[in-house]
Amino acid sequence: MDYLVVAVVAGLAAVERKGFLQAMLSRPVALAPIVGLALGDLPGGLLLGPPLELLWLGAVNMGASLPPNEALGTAAIAAGAVLAGRALGTGVTPAVAVLAIALAGTLAALGRATDRAIEEWNVRLAARAEVLLERGSPIAAVRENLYGMALPFVVSALLAPAAAAVVARVIPGVLVEFPALNAPLGWGWAALGGLAAAAGARAFRSARGIGLFAGAAAVTLAVGWLLGGIR
Amino acid sequence: MSVPPMTLRRVFWRCLFLQAAWNRRGMQNLGFAYAIDPALRRLYADPGKRNEALRRHLATFNCHPYTAAAIVGGAIHHEERVAAGEEPPGAPLAYKQVLQGPLAAVGDSFFWAGLRPFFGAMAAVGTLALGWPALVAALLLYNALHLWLRWTLFRAGYRAGDDVVVRLASLSLPTWAARLRDGGAVLCGVAAGAGALSAAGRLSAGAGVLAILVAAAGIVVLGLRARLFPTVYAAMAMGTATGAVTQLLRGGR
Repeated sequence: MDYLVVAVVAGLAAVERKGFLQAMLSRPVALAPIVGLALGDLPGGLLLGPPLELLWLGAVNMGASLPPNEALGTAAIAAGAVLAGRALGTGVTPAVAVLAIALAGTLAALGRATDRAIEEWNVRLAARAEVLLERGSPIAAVRENLYGMALPFVVSALLAPAAAAVVARVIPGVLVEFPALNAPLGWGWAALGGLAAAAGARAFRSARGIGLFAGAAAVTLAVGWLLGGIR
Repeated sequence: MSVPPMTLRRVFWRCLFLQAAWNRRGMQNLGFAYAIDPALRRLYADPGKRNEALRRHLATFNCHPYTAAAIVGGAIHHEERVAAGEEPPGAPLAYKQVLQGPLAAVGDSFFWAGLRPFFGAMAAVGTLALGWPALVAALLLYNALHLWLRWTLFRAGYRAGDDVVVRLASLSLPTWAARLRDGGAVLCGVAAGAGALSAAGRLSAGAGVLAILVAAAGIVVLGLRARLFPTVYAAMAMGTATGAVTQLLRGGR
């Protein structure tokens, strides 16, 4: 049942990402909590969403270019992490999150390849629409547009649960066998957070961006230390 | 004859499906034809003329999915004149061809490189600081703003036709895009600082220092056009290795 839920959520996210609406619901910051909520672990999704969003902030579809499919990657990572956390009885910990990203993150790159294949496939829909119009069926011709959402749905609905199943199986095995890895992987999570923020800042390509990034980080640290000291 | 408001709303709804069948040959052509079809049905009672109009909208088209709403509106503006015999049938196509490039550039620069990543960073920082209510608020705000802009552009295109460029210029989107990019960089800096503080609180001060050092290294390495995911693996591996060494030095505690 869990994998069916993952399939539906990942499929809908694939449609929302490009074919319909594009209202940020398939962005990692929203999708990871949605997957977490659907699988009964909202805090786990909320832990994963922010760093994944910052990492993939630059993943945008400009012109005919194809970015990594961050929605597919996020669905697999979040679902795999939540299911692994459930199997371990710990929920999504930083260690689980790091391993999930390591195992399923590259699915986003595979998603780029499947996106390209889908765009090639859609050429047939456009050609069929022209034929239908020649035959005097304009309503059927324009309806071909809607059929273009089927393949992204199916591809993501198949790939995301499959990758999540691998993640959910491997992570508990690793962390049960090597429990001492939990603390070092927590450091890996801290490093990932730093890199994600840097990747986000780079994605903005602002001329003053690096200075603003450094200044904001310094002010946040100073305020945090001050408040921590007061507390 | 003009297109009734109800039909215009239907066309706008269909604009949300503009990229449903994005393809390598005609790009958004099928989506454009799907979106404008209800208006063409209203304008051309003769099936032959309607099919002819639909055929011209199956020509290659590509634009930013949000700003394309202005072109759909403007194409209806021109189709009304074609239907009334005031313009040649090629006018809507010429209008689309002239505007699709500039509006794509404006849309990519403002929405994809400015507004959406800004709200993505805002949602991320908000979630880190305040949890799901901040996430929901950021998403609601983004969508209220983006849907309002899409509708405004569609209406401006329909009412102004060729003058939509003037209306668009009045919105000063490039200026706003630059501000949003600066604001986004600030939010990422806040995320870096907050992440370091969180790591310091959760693990040790050393983990906080590590997070900041990785953020600084990330800025440099990604600025040298390093690929993202190999860099992610390197950062996670380095962080984990540092954690393991620290654990060993502390006697396995």
